[in-house]
Amino acid sequence: MNKKTLTISALLACFFLAVGFKENEAALALQKTTKQFHTDLNLTAVAIANMKAAIVRLDGSTASELAVQEAVTNARMAYKKSEFLIAYLDGFAVKKNINGAPLPSVDPAIPDVMVIEPCGLQVLDEMAFSEAPTDEKAAMLSRCDKLIQDFKDVAQHQSRLPLEHRHVMEAIRQQLVRTFTLGVTGFDTPGSVNAIPEAKAAFEGMYAAFRHYMPLLEQKDRGLAIVLDARMEHTLKYLTENDDFDSFDRLAFLMEHIEPQYQLFYEVHKSLSIEFAEEVDKTPRAVNYHAVSLFAPDFLNAGYYANLDRKHPLMEKRRELGLTLFFDPILSKNIDRSCASCHHPEKAFTDGLPKPLAAGGKHSLLRNSPTLVNCVFADQYFWDLRESRLDRQMLHVIKSEEEFDTNYPEIIAKLNQSSEYKQLFAAAYPEQPDYQVSTYSISDALSAYVASLTDFDSPFDQYVQGKTGVLDPAAHRGFNLFMGKAACGTCHFAPAFNGTVPPTYDESESEVLGITLTADTLNPSLDSDLGRYANGMPRSKAEFYKTSFKTVTVRNAELTSPYMHNGAFKTLEEVVDFYNRGGGAGLKLDVPYQTLPFDELKLTKAEQADLVAFMKALTGDMSKFKSPKHLPKVDNQPEWNNRKVGGKDYQG
Amino acid sequence: MTKRTYLLFALAFSCLVANAQTLFDNEITIPAGYAPTTVVMPPSPLSMQILFIGGVDMVQSTPTYGNPAGEEVAKEWHDFIGITPDASGQSQGWVTVNHEMIYASNKLGDGGGMTSFKIARKADGTLEVLNQTLNDGRTGKFFNVDFVNTTGETGMNCGGINSIVDGRIWTAEEWFQNRNLDIFNGGNGVRDTSDFTVTNSDIPGMNGRVLKKYQNFNYMTEIDPKQAKAIRKQYNWGRQGFEGGVIAPDNRIVYLGPDDVPGFFGMFVANTPGDFTKGTLFAYKHDKAGWKWVPIWEPGLLLDHNNLATSKGATMFNRIEWVAINPDDNFIYFTETGLDNPVNAWADNAAAGGVFHPATIARAQANGWAGPTDPNYRDYYGRIWKYDPRTAELSVYLEGGPVFADSPTEANYPSKHLSNPDGLNVIKIDGRPFLAIQEDLNGTSRGRVPAGVTNRTCEMFLLDLSIQNPTVNDLIRLTAVPAGAEVTGVVQTPDGKSLLINSQHPSTSNPFPYNHSLTFAIHGLDQIDYARLGNRSQDLDPEMAKNDENAPFSVYPNPVTRVVFMNKTTDVALYDANGKRVLVQRNTNQLDVSSLPTRHLLPEKCRWRNFEAFCAISNS
Repeated sequence: MNKKTLTISALLACFFLAVGFKENEAALALQKTTKQFHTDLNLTAVAIANMKAAIVRLDGSTASELAVQEAVTNARMAYKKSEFLIAYLDGFAVKKNINGAPLPSVDPAIPDVMVIEPCGLQVLDEMAFSEAPTDEKAAMLSRCDKLIQDFKDVAQHQSRLPLEHRHVMEAIRQQLVRTFTLGVTGFDTPGSVNAIPEAKAAFEGMYAAFRHYMPLLEQKDRGLAIVLDARMEHTLKYLTENDDFDSFDRLAFLMEHIEPQYQLFYEVHKSLSIEFAEEVDKTPRAVNYHAVSLFAPDFLNAGYYANLDRKHPLMEKRRELGLTLFFDPILSKNIDRSCASCHHPEKAFTDGLPKPLAAGGKHSLLRNSPTLVNCVFADQYFWDLRESRLDRQMLHVIKSEEEFDTNYPEIIAKLNQSSEYKQLFAAAYPEQPDYQVSTYSISDALSAYVASLTDFDSPFDQYVQGKTGVLDPAAHRGFNLFMGKAACGTCHFAPAFNGTVPPTYDESESEVLGITLTADTLNPSLDSDLGRYANGMPRSKAEFYKTSFKTVTVRNAELTSPYMHNGAFKTLEEVVDFYNRGGGAGLKLDVPYQTLPFDELKLTKAEQADLVAFMKALTGDMSKFKSPKHLPKVDNQPEWNNRKVGGKDYQG
Repeated sequence: MTKRTYLLFALAFSCLVANAQTLFDNEITIPAGYAPTTVVMPPSPLSMQILFIGGVDMVQSTPTYGNPAGEEVAKEWHDFIGITPDASGQSQGWVTVNHEMIYASNKLGDGGGMTSFKIARKADGTLEVLNQTLNDGRTGKFFNVDFVNTTGETGMNCGGINSIVDGRIWTAEEWFQNRNLDIFNGGNGVRDTSDFTVTNSDIPGMNGRVLKKYQNFNYMTEIDPKQAKAIRKQYNWGRQGFEGGVIAPDNRIVYLGPDDVPGFFGMFVANTPGDFTKGTLFAYKHDKAGWKWVPIWEPGLLLDHNNLATSKGATMFNRIEWVAINPDDNFIYFTETGLDNPVNAWADNAAAGGVFHPATIARAQANGWAGPTDPNYRDYYGRIWKYDPRTAELSVYLEGGPVFADSPTEANYPSKHLSNPDGLNVIKIDGRPFLAIQEDLNGTSRGRVPAGVTNRTCEMFLLDLSIQNPTVNDLIRLTAVPAGAEVTGVVQTPDGKSLLINSQHPSTSNPFPYNHSLTFAIHGLDQIDYARLGNRSQDLDPEMAKNDENAPFSVYPNPVTRVVFMNKTTDVALYDANGKRVLVQRNTNQLDVSSLPTRHLLPEKCRWRNFEAFCAISNS
């Protein structure tokens, strides 16, 4: 067939395909988006180069310092326009090199400490807006040189990558999450606090990209196109009119802008018949793309964190078995302690003590018993982040001489003496006849149970989800402070309000707060627990991980007193007061690597009360978490059958 | 619609979309009278079998730290696998599995470790783990290799050496520490940090030597796989962060790969074949006149190998991982896995005399950097080197990546990407040698994982060693590994029928046991014929594989085992029996359908949208 014939048949095909289907329109949209992306990458590179020129001219004069601030802001604004695609396509490089937190980190490639000094746009933002930018000239120059190379690397790769429709849609929705959690909270503008104008730039960038798809959407779903068009205009107007960081109403922004668009762009994705990620590859993801609200109970995928297929037909049986095991002291050496000994359901699975009692009741364990509700949403467990797998978390408790003081072979031998238990295991793990009562099934069942301990149904959730139209005004103000002026949300990330980092939610963070031994702020002294530094993982042996602890959720905090890894603070008011004073460093203690800002937050008493009111609006209904009615009988050990649900001292 | 019209239709369509992005309807309607030609998907000749599950299966232990012999849950983090053939022919032999971890254990010993077991081929083609009773009285299937009572503990056993001569096994200790405090690791590592006195060593000058405990780590350690105990630490090969090595067929030369920046490609030459207690250690130096190896072994213990190699001007590499040998021609291959920014780690060595291979310098300069110590120097993807033992010449065999100087056309954009190759071995298929390459990603940036993916997905590839100048497009992807896990340790059973593979630290929601460290076998290797392998598709149906844009769109082979090939690069979608879209791939000329449940592959109802008939059915 020659070329000419081919053209004719191609036209024929177009004719046939034209009914309800516009191939060229789609291809054109993507071409335009791609072209614009390449242009924006170049503009950002130019803005970064201009930034360097301004830094070179720093001479101590106010004019030169203002020029640097302007140049840094320009570079950041240029970056923000295409942040949605750059960060979606290569989140790793963005975090490591382009716009990561201004804190040192360790290279994840090798099992040793190899420190990566902070670099990128956030660091430059902080330096440019410091008290004397000229003093930072040399440091800024070296950071800027590195950024030029790193951005060139990223841009080189990304400008050669064939963009797909799916990338554009997923990137836009991810940017909505990023802008809400990291943008308007001030997370990535530590110096300039230029968060709201930057958010506007980010929206402008992604809207501009999306507008190329509007003709196609209009053909597919005109109503949706009209609604979205109005929404986009509405959001840009809102961000133009409300650009003050402190007074920005983040709850209104969430409800009126982020949430509706998060849903609308999902509908666009579906309506345009664009494939979803799971149709392309089977890589599990922490965020459930099909959830249409950031505060939907299934927005985060518990199964991803727990390595469980939560849709498995036997999941309910496994969860039930895990529930029984959780409350059964048969797991401990002396058959007196269970998981519930330190994790009481009505206290959101904490125990009300500063630190739990060790086996034998003579002294305390090292650290406070953390809540298990929503604890699954983490990639590392324990206060010191020493375990990366939920199903291995219990091994630490089982082995510890101060806790269960036993091992899996002993536990398996005990469970195998119970026909009832054997039946439960056989029913829950029938496809694994060789491993029915095994390390695997015991830890898997407990994981299944702990992964089920989630709650996104507090008064605050119900308000955001639209189930109720009423929220305590103090909680509303408290949320805005939490996500803004009080800078809580820059570490306790929405929606779980823990240290699992958005928008991909696949890494848990820890922070150095300079925690004191007691709540006494007049005569404070530092707690000496080394935390993450001493967790036994080779990569944790970096100085800046000394006294670093996991950022736990503030959900249900009302029920989980006392607070911090050492239980030093009895009330939420004490906790807020500690942060307001700038943590340990703010109390003039020597905390060289404190990651909490050590200048005062300057919160008024009323604002502090609002923060507490917001946290209290995050309390869920714990009565839904039941304990088992009885424990399985053990055949030939009558004395074991006297064991209580929850163990010897459990008051459930 | 007649068949002929449809042909035209399909042709035109596929041409149209070849350079354009297609939207796929979520559901399709099937035209009346549509008569698909079917592509049958027969059962794969490959099948999988789990052999050993870390953290779950029980191992037999020796008396350790005053505790009696007994049974304990096996260690995890499987890495290297060794196979020691059974000379009697009664079984396949002894399998040894490394545990790349540091973990305090009262029964198994602190630090890393190894597990040994014996396998035999059953009549049905699968393998069985045999019951054994060892000389020390231990009875069972899986045995903890005793280091504590022999050579002293090991740490983070990663790679190793499996001699092609006689199946002798060495385990490598990668975790390089320079203080007792660090190996103690808060009580999680090696708890006994008192001085270590070397006993029963047949290496000259070592008996009775007292070492700081940490100095007794980071050697190649030979073990006896049959009795599950260690034999000796090769103090005479230097103290290095070892990862891999091979024994040459002469049973005298050992090639060594240390995972370090800089790492030095090493060679030990034994005085007597088979006796590795006496000999000379060398480091590779590409610019040396004549024989390109410099001796660095001095009498006594070589605790400071890297500084000595540096001072002798040896050639520096960015993390050497596994070393492999092609038994047909004795060429040596090793992976240089890379570290994104190695400059700080090797700048001092460069100043002190260490040198860079011309290929390393050329790669730097091609990127516009002054050289490998330019602050902007980056190494994102790593590579595979090839060493010719006749000439001592070393060259890059396969560069990772690719990195594009210019934007490729979509049709030329590679569907494969090699990043941070780590595990490496030579296996035989149809009598021909292939490299089995296993990735271990250093990060997810710059295309190391698909766009938008943030967790590490490591791949395993085969590469036909008959290809002289391969590119990543010549790689054949083997996907039979749990997503998110590192795959490593690939080794072939002596009868050639199975591969043994380790899956390490999986981080995904795979069903048990794929969510654990595990050692598994892929059977049926002997049933694959060379011509049917992945990229060699042109051998299957030369007419259809011409990628001739004027040819009708078509799919092949028929039947298909795992991958369906198309004669054009385009966007494709596969629909199930209900017309629901189940798989979409962009810009591709092949489709891996092996992971699709059979219910998606019913005849008659599923087909490419608007394309000439294609239907994958399973007759299993």
